[in-house]
Amino acid sequence: MNDTMEVQSALAPGSYFFTGNEAAAEGAIAAGCRYYAGYPITPSSEIMERMAQRLKEVDGVFMQMEDEIASICSVVGASWSGSKAMTATSGPGFSLMQEALGYGVFTETPLVLVDIQRAGPCTGQATKVGSGDLMQAKWGSHGDYQIIALSPWSVQEMYDQTIEAFNLSEQYRVPVFVMADEAVGHLRERMDISPLVQTRNRYKKSGAAPFGTEENDGVPPMPSFGEGESITVTGSTHNEFGVRKTDDPAVHERLVGRINNKILNHRENIIQSEAYSLDDAEVIVVAYGFTARSAFFAVDQLRKSGKKVGLLRLKTIWPFADGLINRIGKLGKKLFVPEMNSGQVYGEIRKYAGCEVIPYHQTNGRIIHPKDIIAHIERII
Amino acid sequence: MSNVKQVRLIGFGGQGVVLAGTILAHSAIKDGRWVAGSSAYGAQARGGTARYDVIVAEDPIKFPHMISTDILIAFSQKAYEESLGQLSKEKALVIYDDLLVKPGTLPGVIQTGVPATDRAIKDLNNKQAANMVMLAAAAVLTGLTSQASLVRALEENSAPRFLEINRKALALGQDIGLNLKKI
Repeated sequence: MNDTMEVQSALAPGSYFFTGNEAAAEGAIAAGCRYYAGYPITPSSEIMERMAQRLKEVDGVFMQMEDEIASICSVVGASWSGSKAMTATSGPGFSLMQEALGYGVFTETPLVLVDIQRAGPCTGQATKVGSGDLMQAKWGSHGDYQIIALSPWSVQEMYDQTIEAFNLSEQYRVPVFVMADEAVGHLRERMDISPLVQTRNRYKKSGAAPFGTEENDGVPPMPSFGEGESITVTGSTHNEFGVRKTDDPAVHERLVGRINNKILNHRENIIQSEAYSLDDAEVIVVAYGFTARSAFFAVDQLRKSGKKVGLLRLKTIWPFADGLINRIGKLGKKLFVPEMNSGQVYGEIRKYAGCEVIPYHQTNGRIIHPKDIIAHIERII
Repeated sequence: MSNVKQVRLIGFGGQGVVLAGTILAHSAIKDGRWVAGSSAYGAQARGGTARYDVIVAEDPIKFPHMISTDILIAFSQKAYEESLGQLSKEKALVIYDDLLVKPGTLPGVIQTGVPATDRAIKDLNNKQAANMVMLAAAAVLTGLTSQASLVRALEENSAPRFLEINRKALALGQDIGLNLKKI
């Protein structure tokens, strides 16, 4: 329903030596983001710093707000004013944003949030790594809803997935999270910028119901303030024209159903993954984020010593790759799931795999080293 | 150059180790190589050890942190001694500042002293330029990157007021490297 278009890259094409945080900011600019509101927090602050500079160069608007609650509310408002809008934060800020993210979901507001995960809970270790916010990304606000959450493993992917996050948020009118971890945010490596960037523009249809139900994909057109349309935006249950309906069971059921199904019905198009050496593998490592880099190296080393090990990398965390995990589970292999949390994705995998799933948790603020993955796999193979 | 080289530049804070590592990384990218770089991130005390790790590879890099050090570039005795435990078991190479480091005996490891600080003082009257002298000499000795790319990377990353002295330092380092290579 929306239009895609190719635009010139904001940066000159070529190879750059960026941190993941810098790459996320560049991805946002490339995707057409022209509004950023945020409150600095380690280890995400470099995104905000670069956006302050880059938005000035592209005639965008940058706001440092008084806190994270104001930041995300401001981003919702900017999106309804027609701008592609973003914020970035880390765990404590992400917690503060959860109520307004629910508002963003229920009002079907496209926006992008980059969470550079640090070692939590609470203030935790601000400069250290973790990936403990994944369940919060899915369930942090109340009620039944869906969001999209991506998991980059490289600086290149911080750029590519931030662009993808904007495109998905416009396509499905939903908040999209780039759930990076500190190790990727602060990793510095080569990344390549191509001359053209694929972007997606908001679907508009004058006079159409902005919360309508007639579209086949469940995603209604979205007007902006200032375009002459009469718009009501509310976090209360509303009909297709945004009129509050707080006592009508049919309206509530229809709306809640639609905001869930517009994501779930398209999950095969949304979910992305990569597989390495699965064919004859006796053990398949399932990993995401920086841990997948460790696993990638470990699998390569184990293969060189004749061990039959493969890697499945989840690039999308939510919606969860339930069908894929179910198919992988049917291969009858062992799955090994290393994570920098207490098993948040392990639990999902166990739900759908139907085979033996072995977790490996580490919550010490350090990355999981390839040698630890190698040692554990050698014990189970 | 073999497929992957893990390089550690290490000294004490203020010697320009991080800048040298950053310019090496930019330079290797200009040669068309794949590069990952990392320094310590956290609450650090001033005056302690400063390090920058650079991985240079012909192909995309699987794991972007250092597993073991293939090439150690040491700017101080303490840094040198701290780093020996991480040296790769095969074909490790140590390049050290010969005014600041007294190397020990390391069986199977090639160790080369570079008069980076000494010549930076004598030829350039600028001790701070020792990092660029060392970088250019190490580039010649290891084949990590080309001199032409080093100069371009320097031009893009050096503060304008230090550009001229750093250019001279790279040229001096290249000479030193070429002479050492002949030996």
